[in-house]
Amino acid sequence: MDADVLVRDYLGRLEAAAAVLPADRRAELTAEVREHINAALADAGQSDEATARNILERLGSPDEIVAAEARHGGLPVGPAVASAVEAPSTGSRWGAVEITAVVLLCLAWPARYLPFGLFLWLACTMIGLVLVWASSAWTTRRKLTATTCVIALYLLAILLTAPVTVQCTTGSQSQPCPPGGPSPVITGS
Amino acid sequence: MHGMVAGETRDPLTELRRGVLEHCVLALMRHKEAYAYDIVRALSDAGGLVTSEGTIYPLLSRLRRDGLVETTWRESESGPPRRYYRLTSHGQRTLDAFVEDWTRFRDAVDAVLVE
Repeated sequence: MDADVLVRDYLGRLEAAAAVLPADRRAELTAEVREHINAALADAGQSDEATARNILERLGSPDEIVAAEARHGGLPVGPAVASAVEAPSTGSRWGAVEITAVVLLCLAWPARYLPFGLFLWLACTMIGLVLVWASSAWTTRRKLTATTCVIALYLLAILLTAPVTVQCTTGSQSQPCPPGGPSPVITGS
Repeated sequence: MHGMVAGETRDPLTELRRGVLEHCVLALMRHKEAYAYDIVRALSDAGGLVTSEGTIYPLLSRLRRDGLVETTWRESESGPPRRYYRLTSHGQRTLDAFVEDWTRFRDAVDAVLVE
C-alpha cells in the first residue's frame, strides 16, 4: 500500500472519530496531526510505506487521540463523559414506576375494607410487587427487602387479627366480643 | 477528576506520566519558543515520556485554553506557516511551582525506596 493512501486513511479515521468535537477544534486537530505527519516524513527523509506506518503507529490510534481530547476537557458534552456522570444519579432517582409501586402497596391493606376488598387487596399487592421488580432505580437487594417486608407485614397482620375471630366464635357465648377485640389470653382462660 | 472504573487495573507509570506530562511540555518551551512537532519528538526521545505522540495535541490545546502557553504563527521554508509555542507568565509560574514540588516529591519517594 502506498504511504499516501495510509496517511489519507488515517486522517479519515481521525476525522470520523473527532466527529464528537466542536467543528473548529476538529478541523484544528486534524490539521495539527496532518502537519505532524508531514514534518515526520520530512524528518525521516523518505516517504515509503514502512516509514509512514511507523509514524502513524507512534501517533497512536485516532480513538486514543480523541479520548485524550475528552480527558483534557475538549468535549463540551461528550456522550461517554455525560453518561458516566449521569449513570449514578439515574440509578437511584424515583420515576412513575417507583411511586406507583409504593402508593399501591400502601393502599393495599386499607383497600380490604372497601367493597370487593379481598380482590382489591390482592390486586394492589400483586401489581405493586410486579412494579417493584420492574423498577430500574432499585437494586435487587432493595427489591428483595421490599418484598420480604410486604409479606412479613401481611403475615403479622393476619396473625394479629385471626386469633380474635377464632377465640370469639369458639369462646363463651355469655361473653360477647368487645368492639376492640379481646386479647387471646383473656378469652382463652 | 478522572473517573475510576471499578475493576480497571491502573498502571502506576501511566498515571504518573499523565500527571507530569503537561509540566514537561511547559519545561520544553521554557527557554525558547518551540514547534509542536519538536516538543513531541523531545518527549518521545526522553525515555518514552509519551507513548502515543498524537495525544500531545489535545494537551497543547488545553494549555492554550488555560492560558499557560501562547502561540505565534511563523512562515516556514517548507510548507505552510507553523505555530510556535511559548510560556505565558502564568505558565512560567505554574512550571516554577511544579519544579519545586517535584523535587521535594522525587526526593521523598527516593528516600523511601532506597531505604
